[in-house]
Amino acid sequence: MSTTSTDAHTAGERSWRLALPSTMRLQEYTLVGVIVALLVAGTILKPDTFLTTDNVRAMLTQASVVGVLAIGMTFVIATSGIDLSVGSIVAAAGVAGGLVIDSGAWAFFLVCFGFALLLGTVNATAIAVGRVVPFIATLAMLAIARGLALQMSDKRPISLISSEPVRWFGTGEIIGQPVSIWIFLAVTVVGWILLNRTRYGRHVVSVGGNREAARIAGVPVRRTVFSVYCLSGLLAGLAAILLSGRLASASPVSGELLELDAIGATVIGGTSLAGGRATIVGTFMGVVVFAMIFNLLTQLDLATEWQQIVKGVIILAAVLIQRPERI
Amino acid sequence: MSTPALLEVRGLTKEYPGVRALAGVDLDVRHGEVHCLVGPNGAGKSTLIKCISGVVDPTEGTILLDGESIAGGSPSAAIGRGVATIYQELDLVADLSVTDNIFLGHEFRRRGLLDRARMRRETTELLRRVGHESIAPTTRVSDLRPAGQQVVSIARSLSHEVRLLIMDEPSAILDDSEIETLFDVVRRLTAEGVGVVYISHRLDEISRIGDRVTVLREGATVVSGLPASTPADELVTHMVGSSFEQLFPERAVGGGRVLLEVRGLQRLPDVKPASFELHAGEVLGIAGLVGAGRSELLRALYGVDRRDAGEVIIDGEALPAGRPDRAIAAGMGLAPEDRKSQALLLEWDLVKNVTLPDVARFQRGVIRVRAEREAVQTQLDALHTTPSDGSRRARELSGGNQQKVVLARWLLKECKVLLLDEPTRGVDVGAKAELFRIVTDLAREGLGVIVVSSEIEELRGLCTRILVMREGELVAELDAAEASELDVLRHAMPGTQQMVTSGASESDAPGKEA
Repeated sequence: MSTTSTDAHTAGERSWRLALPSTMRLQEYTLVGVIVALLVAGTILKPDTFLTTDNVRAMLTQASVVGVLAIGMTFVIATSGIDLSVGSIVAAAGVAGGLVIDSGAWAFFLVCFGFALLLGTVNATAIAVGRVVPFIATLAMLAIARGLALQMSDKRPISLISSEPVRWFGTGEIIGQPVSIWIFLAVTVVGWILLNRTRYGRHVVSVGGNREAARIAGVPVRRTVFSVYCLSGLLAGLAAILLSGRLASASPVSGELLELDAIGATVIGGTSLAGGRATIVGTFMGVVVFAMIFNLLTQLDLATEWQQIVKGVIILAAVLIQRPERI
Repeated sequence: MSTPALLEVRGLTKEYPGVRALAGVDLDVRHGEVHCLVGPNGAGKSTLIKCISGVVDPTEGTILLDGESIAGGSPSAAIGRGVATIYQELDLVADLSVTDNIFLGHEFRRRGLLDRARMRRETTELLRRVGHESIAPTTRVSDLRPAGQQVVSIARSLSHEVRLLIMDEPSAILDDSEIETLFDVVRRLTAEGVGVVYISHRLDEISRIGDRVTVLREGATVVSGLPASTPADELVTHMVGSSFEQLFPERAVGGGRVLLEVRGLQRLPDVKPASFELHAGEVLGIAGLVGAGRSELLRALYGVDRRDAGEVIIDGEALPAGRPDRAIAAGMGLAPEDRKSQALLLEWDLVKNVTLPDVARFQRGVIRVRAEREAVQTQLDALHTTPSDGSRRARELSGGNQQKVVLARWLLKECKVLLLDEPTRGVDVGAKAELFRIVTDLAREGLGVIVVSSEIEELRGLCTRILVMREGELVAELDAAEASELDVLRHAMPGTQQMVTSGASESDAPGKEA
């Protein structure tokens, strides 16, 4: 009997598919359209300042922190998980690195990565071993990591202005373009290969798509779930380095609501919150769309509180578009 | 016997595209009678009660309740007319109290608030009516034993006016003393004039509680209204029928080396210690009723579920418990009972579904997508999968073709021991014959195959040997070529043990040796 209803469903879907190859591509096409529309709108509204090399560079530099986090978030969401703690981990890792800045830039990088990975591993352990719901585990980490950042820094930003290598991540250039943009691109490319062209990527998506089927097919489900939170933590460490480099300081209140941007970009990119469908290309475009919208809104002198509201509405609209066909 | 019937079903037919679930069922139930309904799995019992209780619209035929047509209504309309149904899986909310469960969805209210006092009073009254006033209305349902929960279920159905009560295998989850409790309740209700349709696989119950019995087979009534005193043996003969389709290729002979050895495998309460061997070139069937523990046996064997005790040895290598990945590495493959929820990623294309357990073999740094696609295509073509295009999504395929995708997965992995759980469920007749041919060919190539199926004919036609499971235990080993369907059913059905004589075709039960 279930076969019957599915058959009927398939038939209906097939006619739909004639027009549109698949929902994922639909979303990606839509995003390309949105980017083009934003370019056009920006050029018309702000002909002198929007589509300039400097502004594009500024947009992408700003987007790189969120972008790095969003690539990690894509892996987490692909397993039907969520990581709410990335913004706080960025702050905590930056502060932890800042505490050892006197021992040199390498100590900063090492501690930054190490501390972020440690916090990510705590998430991973709670979720994969302790079987805590990802939402709750990472919500707790959101509070813990922020608390740690404030406590370790005595609630004061730590200046990194004296460290040339750290600032290089904010101001340096490779082949004439900002370092952080290159890093964002590199993470995107590596993330794409990892997700689409390795066994690990298949495992990640299978765990989110159908956990029982994945297990029966021999996928190490728990190890896979564990790994994505470690990966997300590690990338939060990288984001902390980019952010610290740009600000030339490690602030315990930095990175606030970054998790919202990362999750939002991932979701409007077309990765399904229910798991089983993930797209790095979509996430990349989601990050770019977010960056363009806020750059444009800022240029149009729209207050930041309004920008928040717009951000929320966009995320809601994106989720409405990709909601399941049936419940 | 001129009492007008309470329920009168005439010529009831239900067709799904490609399948006739019901092909002309007649049934009549009198006031105050317990009418038993028996038949093998897939005979149409569930569809019949779904039609009566308004869950499913029949294609043709009439259903009269006290002379009034009720076909094609909704479940709530059926309840309104006095038809109550208690399904096998109790649908109570475990964390709510007895009262809350009974009035769930039709709570009494006073000035917008729940009238808890009145609901509690009514609950006590209902429980008294079924003879269980000892159950406190405030008890949490999860604190009750299964029989107590069943009583609550029945009491809930009585919170509406009930004329006809349908019970789908109510005794399946109860032990013997609890069954007596259930029977007491049923007798109280029939004394009030309520008619009861009682579905059971336990033939011994029929003479204990029933008045009359109707046998279904392949969606049609075989005999209707036999006295409940009809011997179980005779009922089984009615259930078996005689049609034996020529779907089967020449039988795999087995007789190769021992591929798989299972010793004392146990996972209580579903699987009691089981021991058997599987040889290369053999198709081993596992027969039994739904709920006998067959799927659970396969799952524990494969490691999806952790086993409590016992050993699984494949080609001399002992497998750790609860590690499907290790079972796969050792050469085992499982095609689970429910393809959609347990085997496939429906949104994925066929290629990725096929290579999921073994994608590493295509990875040299990164996955060589073209090599992967070509390897999968070869398997899909060899199995005559349609559509054969590997980029189609698994969701778009029919049941039989989805099954082929799962088989392709394990063929690509070159597994040695293949476990098939209900491989033909939801598969049409043509595709069935094809699957049988594939399975037999694989056995000829030296694989060992274990097939769990509810279709006894299938096992008889396909297998080398048949193991019969009953209530978690392996109770018999039969030679598939010689065993009759009757032999298998006799072993499989609880309550027929006394009829089992030492027939020529049966050897000692492996489960009893342990």
